[in-house]
Amino acid sequence: MLMFGFAVAAMAPALIISRMISPRKKSNPVKFLPMECGQVPSGEGRTHFMMQYYAYILMFVVFDVMAIFLYAWGSTILELPKSATLPIIGFLGIMFAAMAFALYQSGRRNIW
Amino acid sequence: MSVIAPKFKFSEFVKSILDNLFWFLLIFALIGVPLVQIILFYVEMPVINGELLTPFLALTWLADPSRTLPILKAFMTTDLFRIAAFPGFGFAALLAAGTIFVERKMLAKLQLRVGPFYCGKIEGILQLMGDGLKLLSKEIIIPAKADKPIFWAAPVIFVGAAAAFVALIPVAPGWVVADVDVGLLAVFAVIGFFPIITILSAWSANSKFPFIGGIRALHQMVSFEIPLILSLLGVVILTGTLNLSEIAASQSAFPWIVFLPVGAIVFFITILAELERIPFDLPEAESEIVAGWLTEFSGMMYGLVQLGTYLKLYAFAALFVVLFLGGWNGPMIWPPFPEEIITKGIEAGPITVQIPGLPLFSQETLNGIVWFVIKTVGVIFFILLPRGVFPRIRIDMLLSLGWYKLIGMAFINIFIALGLLYAGVLGPGGML
Repeated sequence: MLMFGFAVAAMAPALIISRMISPRKKSNPVKFLPMECGQVPSGEGRTHFMMQYYAYILMFVVFDVMAIFLYAWGSTILELPKSATLPIIGFLGIMFAAMAFALYQSGRRNIW
Repeated sequence: MSVIAPKFKFSEFVKSILDNLFWFLLIFALIGVPLVQIILFYVEMPVINGELLTPFLALTWLADPSRTLPILKAFMTTDLFRIAAFPGFGFAALLAAGTIFVERKMLAKLQLRVGPFYCGKIEGILQLMGDGLKLLSKEIIIPAKADKPIFWAAPVIFVGAAAAFVALIPVAPGWVVADVDVGLLAVFAVIGFFPIITILSAWSANSKFPFIGGIRALHQMVSFEIPLILSLLGVVILTGTLNLSEIAASQSAFPWIVFLPVGAIVFFITILAELERIPFDLPEAESEIVAGWLTEFSGMMYGLVQLGTYLKLYAFAALFVVLFLGGWNGPMIWPPFPEEIITKGIEAGPITVQIPGLPLFSQETLNGIVWFVIKTVGVIFFILLPRGVFPRIRIDMLLSLGWYKLIGMAFINIFIALGLLYAGVLGPGGML
């Protein structure tokens, strides 16, 4: 992507210019500490974190791929015979049932 | 009030400016000029008025007005112009800057405040430039133990990904930076980068608020990506193509929002979630977790992230226009270019000036741009509006909205599209 390269090439100088003209005050012990509303931070920044809705991310991995598969069908539907739609309806049915089951399991908070 | 420079001397000031000027000229003459010559050697120059454009002739465009417009026209067909100026970065950044200003003023009016008022005398119109200069001149602070390369790169990559998204949007017939056949899939690929950038920058900051904000952003973007993908399938079924230019061109008679309103509503809600706008702004909920994943960014890094966010906003609004509102299609409202100027030239008293190559853009292009900008500004307005109206929702409400309701509606939308196709209303050989 040329545009990506252009944007990176155009934006990196902004950081460099900013670095050149911005003031560099003397450091003090709390200046480079992570922000914690004025308190001195306690504990690690990258901690173990309870991700309560982790199941939804697992579902994304599966259903994203299935949704992209549908595009291979959707973009060629005008050339396909009408009988080719039935298997896709079946695929949609399987996808919908699987999604309902996965959502039911994700909604059961006590097993996560 | 602090003093700018305690030992200020005017002569020293002038001397320092002259010093800098001297060094700039010396370096430019020794390195810059040969570099330009070397680069020009490899660039293919266009043929203007029957002769090849040499660097010397290119520099005479100021003195010779018969060459100015052809040179400009030749430049407008290059990739550099497309990327940097019109359908690409400059155009999008201009609209994004307008969006920021309008958002601040409009929100202020909605909440009975005045908003930016002093900078620039008239309704604070220079506030944006002031903010930009302020951000540029602030010190960049990186927290201790942060992962420095990733932390530095994250804002730049964010802007780059947003720009890559902008590159895929067709603005007028033929005016698009990257006209790829799998345009819509490329859009999904670019959208897929944003959660990765967010979670990388959040993890690299080594701080708790960005970390929580990054995880929230991951949940939100990931759970709204599937309704987004499924809601656009209806348009693809009806047009049979993934190319965004062809999708926009297919709506010359009626926009798809007439037939697929359900898909349009689902797509609009997912836009709000992907952009982290107010009903779904959990990743940067300022009253809970300071600024979410933006907490540790300071100075120009924060400015770059803001720029990327608003470029993304423009790109999503433009995508909505292209897919559902008919893109550049609309009745011809732009007046035709006066014929006399092309055939006779401009007459001003005794003088007649012939200007070759005058209509820079064709009438259709200008009309398309006008309609595209009008529609995009309308969609941006509706994206901004909820910010003054709605409160923030909880994360379980967000997930249930994304996974239960929107996906169900997206499936309904697919069946509406299939029904329209097989009932013979739309598509090849259909009634419309």
